[in-house]
Amino acid sequence: MSTESLTNIIQVEDLTTGYNGRTVLQNVSMVARAHEITVILGASGCGKTTLLKNMIRLYQPWSGSIRLFGKEITDMDEPEFNHLLQNIGVLFQNGALLNSIPVSENISIPLLQHTKLPRVLIQRLVRIKLHLVGLENAGHLLPSELSGGMRKRAALARAIAMDPPLLFGDEPSAGLDPVTSAALDDLLLKLRNDLGMTILLVSHEVPSILRIADSIIFLESGRVLFCGPLKQALTAGIEEVDDFFSKGSEGRRAG
Amino acid sequence: MVKITYSENRLVVQGQLLISELENLEKILKFIDKTVMSSLEINLAAVNRIDSAGVAFLDEILERGKAKGLSVQMVHAGPHIAATIAAFSSRNLPEADSTAPPSIFENIGGWLVEVGRNTKQLLYLISDSAWFAVTGLFHKKGVRKGEFIRQSIIIGMNSFPIVALISFLVGLILALQSAAQLRIFGAGIYVADLVAISMTREMGPLMTAIVFAGRSGSAIASEIATMVVTEETDALKSMALNPVRYVLVPKIYAITLTMPLLTVLSIILGILGALVIGMAYLDIGPLPFYNEVLTVLILKDLLTGLIKSVIFAWIIVLVGAYYGFRVRGGAQGVGSATTASVVASIFLVILADSLLGLLFYFGGGADM
Repeated sequence: MSTESLTNIIQVEDLTTGYNGRTVLQNVSMVARAHEITVILGASGCGKTTLLKNMIRLYQPWSGSIRLFGKEITDMDEPEFNHLLQNIGVLFQNGALLNSIPVSENISIPLLQHTKLPRVLIQRLVRIKLHLVGLENAGHLLPSELSGGMRKRAALARAIAMDPPLLFGDEPSAGLDPVTSAALDDLLLKLRNDLGMTILLVSHEVPSILRIADSIIFLESGRVLFCGPLKQALTAGIEEVDDFFSKGSEGRRAG
Repeated sequence: MVKITYSENRLVVQGQLLISELENLEKILKFIDKTVMSSLEINLAAVNRIDSAGVAFLDEILERGKAKGLSVQMVHAGPHIAATIAAFSSRNLPEADSTAPPSIFENIGGWLVEVGRNTKQLLYLISDSAWFAVTGLFHKKGVRKGEFIRQSIIIGMNSFPIVALISFLVGLILALQSAAQLRIFGAGIYVADLVAISMTREMGPLMTAIVFAGRSGSAIASEIATMVVTEETDALKSMALNPVRYVLVPKIYAITLTMPLLTVLSIILGILGALVIGMAYLDIGPLPFYNEVLTVLILKDLLTGLIKSVIFAWIIVLVGAYYGFRVRGGAQGVGSATTASVVASIFLVILADSLLGLLFYFGGGADM
């Protein structure tokens, strides 16, 4: 899918949604620009993951519009949306690897199902992805044999198996040690710089956000408090945003 | 679009080397393998986009060329293309792990070691359970208050409707099948003897145990397996609490109490099922039927059934706990442990029933 001519890969307007009658997101509007890393952040329970899951239609919005690659997805039919999903990689919070098959097979699923690549190339690509996430020697292991951090990295390898133009990640560096977390940040930067990926992450790891984010979307109780470049956010003088970044940095230093 | 042409040791790649554009690569790779060439130059001057699939493709060509003993090089890649190739190259990566499948002797050896290990674990579990079940009668610490009552309700009382229904139907079917034969000889009243004895000694304990294995045994296995997977048992250990004592012993008490009670109910309902057939098909009134049952049944019959029910109860709870405690893996492991526990406990209950049948028959005289 060509993303050359588009400025905004993701465009959400007036999105309202929730569960069991409880509103979680209220009139949320945001954009994620092409070839940028955008981070959704905010306190726990503010609706970050809900916003992400609405974008891949795991949750249905009550009202509003979500446009991916310039196409409205809320009323898109199933086959068309499935086709669109081939251009999207998703990293779930707990990895969501298929437990009954080894890591390498998990990574090869989208390649086997959605491409016509020869098997040798698929094997090679799996090795490349495993290497990128630092799991060269874990391809033959079952997900249950991996640690939490390794599972998350394996899940990232699966999410980027197809080099999707758009990558969603739900807290990719949560629970990782600082060295692995920094390596993961470097990988995300590499994906953005070399492959021109547009990346939308949910995160509240302040050091990681400061290292990789081009833009941020700050949510507070289901509403967007700020949406724009990171540098602007740090100087905008919004109390909640300043508080989040200062406390996050202090917490990291203290820890 | 991507276009690949070859002439005189030179492969010219043009366009976008992207995963969505790469097709019919098998043909190109075979062409490289078959074509006689003295060297190979891959010209990338006209490549304007590349992703990791494109890099993997170029690496595959390079390695195949080198395997043929050729001098292979990529030339004229633009700076961005060269940077992407360097970032995603797979040329110096280790080969994927490919361990040879184990031989038959390794398999047999591995299986024997596993059997030995599992037996040891089972014996430890049995000894732990026996120890804590006995000492737990005198020391109340180390278990949750009210757990015995709660488990009795979950394991025992909640099984009552299904045990009752199945026992009633089993009694009904036994009576129906035998009534047709006995009626020919004018011996319809002996339906009461037949069903009373078979339900008391055999079918009552066995049917209750099978229903228990499916319903409560699986619940025990899945509950303990989930606790192991979510590290709850580790948390108990870290609080100086023994998981067998804390989790399993109340279940053992509960099942030891409720299983014989349910077995008695099962026997009564099985006999009631036979009474329905007696009244409807053989014109036997409730009182003659009742008198016949009382005449034929002796205390030994009931004791046989009750002893069996307690042994079956322990088999079910220990098998469930054994599979629960040795679970490996996540949610899938819990499912496998549950299934395995039900299969194993039903098998062991029937095996124990056969052994106890023989023991009671030869050990207690031919009338048993």
